[in-house]
Amino acid sequence: MATVKLTNVKKIYDNNVVAVHDFNLDIADKEFIVFVGPSGCGKSTTLRMVAGLEEITAGTIEIDGKVVNDLQPKDRDIAMVFQNYALYPHLTVYENIAFSLRLKHMKEDEIYNRVTSAAETLGITEYLLRKPRALSGGQRQRVAIGRAMVRDSKVFLMDEPLSNLDAKLRNQMRAEIILLRKKINSTFIYVTHDQTEAMTLGDRIVVMKDGYIMQVGTPTEVFEMPANLFVAEFIGAPKMNILDTTLEKRDGKYYVEAYGAELPIDDDKGAALAEKGIETQEIILGVRPEHIQLSHAGDPHSFRCTIRVNEMMGSEYHIHALTESNQEIIVRTPTMDLTREEREQLEHGNEIYVTFKGKVMHFFDKETQKNLLV
Amino acid sequence: MSIEQMKTKSRVKKLVREKQKERRQKQHIGLKTSRIVSNTIIYIILVVIMVVWLVPFFFLLMDSFKCDIAADGETRVTWQSDTIIPKKFGFDNYVDLFTKTKFPRWFINTTLVGLACAVLQTTMILLMSYALSRLRFKGRKFLMNFMLILGMFPGFLSMILLYKLLSDWGLTQDNSIFGLILVYCASSGMGYYISKGFFDTIPRSLDEAARVDGATRAQVFSKVILPLSKPILIYTVLTAFMAPWGDFMFASYIAHTRDVGKNVAVGLRDLISTASGMADHYTWFCAGGVIVAIPITLLFMFLQKYYVEGVTGGAVKG
Repeated sequence: MATVKLTNVKKIYDNNVVAVHDFNLDIADKEFIVFVGPSGCGKSTTLRMVAGLEEITAGTIEIDGKVVNDLQPKDRDIAMVFQNYALYPHLTVYENIAFSLRLKHMKEDEIYNRVTSAAETLGITEYLLRKPRALSGGQRQRVAIGRAMVRDSKVFLMDEPLSNLDAKLRNQMRAEIILLRKKINSTFIYVTHDQTEAMTLGDRIVVMKDGYIMQVGTPTEVFEMPANLFVAEFIGAPKMNILDTTLEKRDGKYYVEAYGAELPIDDDKGAALAEKGIETQEIILGVRPEHIQLSHAGDPHSFRCTIRVNEMMGSEYHIHALTESNQEIIVRTPTMDLTREEREQLEHGNEIYVTFKGKVMHFFDKETQKNLLV
Repeated sequence: MSIEQMKTKSRVKKLVREKQKERRQKQHIGLKTSRIVSNTIIYIILVVIMVVWLVPFFFLLMDSFKCDIAADGETRVTWQSDTIIPKKFGFDNYVDLFTKTKFPRWFINTTLVGLACAVLQTTMILLMSYALSRLRFKGRKFLMNFMLILGMFPGFLSMILLYKLLSDWGLTQDNSIFGLILVYCASSGMGYYISKGFFDTIPRSLDEAARVDGATRAQVFSKVILPLSKPILIYTVLTAFMAPWGDFMFASYIAHTRDVGKNVAVGLRDLISTASGMADHYTWFCAGGVIVAIPITLLFMFLQKYYVEGVTGGAVKG
């Protein structure tokens, strides 16, 4: 129902801490945007500025083409779900959800219809007469979402709504939010520090660090083409393997020296590098753990390492190993493809050979840490 | 298991049992004696305190029922009475107090001032505390410290100035009710401390949620914060009512000659301020004292649960 536009938005707190630098973002109608980043990166502050709970130091925020900088939260037509739910403890679930409608002096019948239909959607009808303290975490979260839902507002803001829930409930609620989003059909801004939530929920992800936007893109873009080293390491779990090395250009072909092995870069990627005019240079190489394959001693492009820890995750192993050059490397490999003997080999102290292909490599500039191909 | 082992085992068992028994006895005796000693000390102290507290009130109560007639058959002997328990019980003093003095007027005056203060002061204190707890504005810290320091000066330092001001405005003597209300309430914002502490424990995200839900600041206060603050509300009302109810000093210097403007404390004291008054009206004074104590006692009996919650609530949880 609404677009949100942030132009040169800046936030400086009273103690001169700059929380957000020059934030620019266009959010399309009905888009689901996720702000993600480590704590203190300014994601919550930005959200709260959109909500009107923090003053904007500089820049403008527009909702539906209208500058809202000086509007009170109540006049911005937004709904928000808070991390700690912020339910009114003295009111029943029904009254909690109806609170905003009552402030609008809506007719009782209309309130009843809206509250009960929201409760039905969220599966909390039977708790309508309870007080929040008599609810479990997941139920409270649903009430908080219900309270935001009934308002039919232009923008739906969520500030780490799942971080107070246990892992199992979090997964369940995440799926429910995806379903909910289809039903509500409004513009969403969702703040989280959890990259899994960001990847699964967002149409686009805004990765932030220290008040700066690191990258804006679809989950696929952010995952496959991280703009810089920070994004590369932040998105994906376990995190990307990083290595300082040299990218060499010989006879029009590129090679990279990694963990004692020389690995060729296949033509597609080579062409892309050539197009950017990249010559032999010092780089930071990044390879995701899931892109490293188990190999064997005979493979000329493989390198040897010693297993330190092997974490059995169920469907896959996370192997933490030490290369001959004494660097730590994490390999993520599906258990399904391995024979019983192979599995038994993957134990502490054993040696394995691993390799990875040129197409999965990410190259970052050693100085700027920016992706060479972006 | 060899015989040797079995022997050892039984020996160990015996040892353990003895040790346990020994400890139990020791603990038992230790606990019992120490508990008896400490309880005795505590109760002795409590009884002493209770006597010290209750004896004056007991005297007051007894004196208020004294209807003893002196040798001349006319005057009531009271003040110099040599007995504690009245020789003749009766409610004469109470009847006299209501019929022969202006006590009803004083009582109404005090009640009016008390109620007005309870309403005005509570409103001001709570609004002030909420603002200090939630809003961040320039000079907030300074204001808070300033008021705290100011509050440490005894109120009577301003006595002469206040008297001058009030008499210029015509708020003494006959109109002293208004003068009293004005003075009691004027500085009430300074009593923000306890309720601010209480509001600080209510999560700010509740305010934020309500504001996003469409509430103004005033609505946040009335619809969210106030319903959550019942203990502190009652505590504030109680203290606001009690201060003027028992106040003597300030009331005495702005209304000391005219009965219309006196409160109970001043009125009763004026009854016995002269030697003859002391001789004749002492029992009336006592009856007045008992009546004044009744409302406060009742209020406390019914509201003490909230009062305690209010005082401690700020420190623990909202």
